[in-house]
Amino acid sequence: MDDFFFSLVLAGISVGSVYALIAIGLNLTFWTTRTLNFGQGSLMMLCAMLVVFLASQGLAMALAVIGGLLVVAALGVFVERFTIRPALVASGGSMGWVVSTLGFGIVLQGVAAKYFGSQAMAFPDVLFTTQDYVTVLGQHLSLQYLVVLALSVSLILLLELFVRKTVWGQAVFAISLDPELALVQGMPVRLIILGSFVASSLLAGVAGILSAQIGGTVDPAFGFDLVLFGFVAAVLGGMGCSVGALVGGLAVGLISKLVGGYISTAAEHAIAFALLMAMLALRPQGLLGRPEVSKA
Amino acid sequence: MLEVQDLHVGYGAVQALQGVTLGAAAGGITAVLGANGAGKSSLLRAISGIAPVTQGRILLDGRDITALPAPARARLGLAHAMEGRRLFRQLTVEDNLRLAWSFGARGVPLAEAIAEVHQRFPILGQRARTPAGLLSGGQQQMLILSCATIRSPRYLLLDEPSLGLAPIIVQQIYAFITDYARRSGTTVLIAEQMATLALKVSDRGYVLRRGRVVLEGRSEELLAGGSEDKLAANYL
Repeated sequence: MDDFFFSLVLAGISVGSVYALIAIGLNLTFWTTRTLNFGQGSLMMLCAMLVVFLASQGLAMALAVIGGLLVVAALGVFVERFTIRPALVASGGSMGWVVSTLGFGIVLQGVAAKYFGSQAMAFPDVLFTTQDYVTVLGQHLSLQYLVVLALSVSLILLLELFVRKTVWGQAVFAISLDPELALVQGMPVRLIILGSFVASSLLAGVAGILSAQIGGTVDPAFGFDLVLFGFVAAVLGGMGCSVGALVGGLAVGLISKLVGGYISTAAEHAIAFALLMAMLALRPQGLLGRPEVSKA
Repeated sequence: MLEVQDLHVGYGAVQALQGVTLGAAAGGITAVLGANGAGKSSLLRAISGIAPVTQGRILLDGRDITALPAPARARLGLAHAMEGRRLFRQLTVEDNLRLAWSFGARGVPLAEAIAEVHQRFPILGQRARTPAGLLSGGQQQMLILSCATIRSPRYLLLDEPSLGLAPIIVQQIYAFITDYARRSGTTVLIAEQMATLALKVSDRGYVLRRGRVVLEGRSEELLAGGSEDKLAANYL
């Protein structure tokens, strides 16, 4: 195995795990409300930008990260309250949330461009530097890639554990199945929905920081590509399925890095979306999505 | 005591209830009868907080709960077995029970409560790990009742527990309901299309027609010959 191939695989897996994180963030709100926050990409960008900004103001790196995450969590509350809830209470189930979450993202991007400039900013080294590596079996493994991979996979596992093993996690799943029954059974549905948007925004923030760390820079348009890849990962794996999101994310990451390395980086998007279309045509429920369980 | 006063329920232009007043005496079984579309489900849904009330009041032990959101009412001890086999179909039997218990009054520890369910309906014990959506109709109804009662409710609303079930299962379900009501002292309100069935187990009955109470009385009197014609007339 040559070094070039190997480095592409590691980069692909690492980037893919971030796509999986984004996909799971999308899944979270999909579970509770059947909606997606298309402003997710801008939240990633904003969180990464805020970290750069706060760190440049002399704040300790850990505090800058916490500050960035707090802001996106608060924006998660805003998104739920002002872009999702009005659309959901509208009689007949409005699709308005598609436009309003997208609009929220674009506004956020504009605001970021105004205050931080539209130039790419260098992202500081939060986790090691690009030069740090370990050697395993004669292969140089970038520590940054490894840490990003470990962080996103453990976040995904933690979330999965929460959803499967705790009663609150099960309530999230229950709301996705029958919100009215959840209400009647005394589950605080409103609170859980709000929580899902906050958690989803936090995941976006973490994904933003991790992507910026790998990529080295962040600019106002930075989240858009990421959320597209995250979305492809979610649909590829089966919308709403956590393991599917992980598999989908890794697949998208690997394929896009290999295509970028051996063919052309310009082909990454084309291949990713060709994959999405092929998947939707052949297996609409996704790789690991399950058809409905029911009996009349 | 569960009281409903001059209740109006409307979905847009459609008025499902137009001034219903009734009471369910504490610790007793009260039947709400009526044909399809008479407003039985709307009444129960309004009581548990998932149907839009446009006028009137709902009182639990004298406390006005009309403005409370559904989960808050559930926490006051209201349990509602909805019509249409409403279960979390992808979740297992056990998970359905656990969720219902977790957000209920938690009268007894979970393990004990589940053991009680299994003793009452052994088939639910055997199928504990089966997704609820794969149970037979009768088993689903047993699970729905168990999910409602495992919450240790003070008020139990049952929407058409006999719907679509074989007569022998209906008997079993009704035996459970009467036995449960007597043992626990829970106030029960049953909406039912099969009038005689519900009147036999209840203390008091109300007949709804087009969103209004058209007949009410002690169940045995409604059952007795004199009212049979009236009853029948109101179903047509």
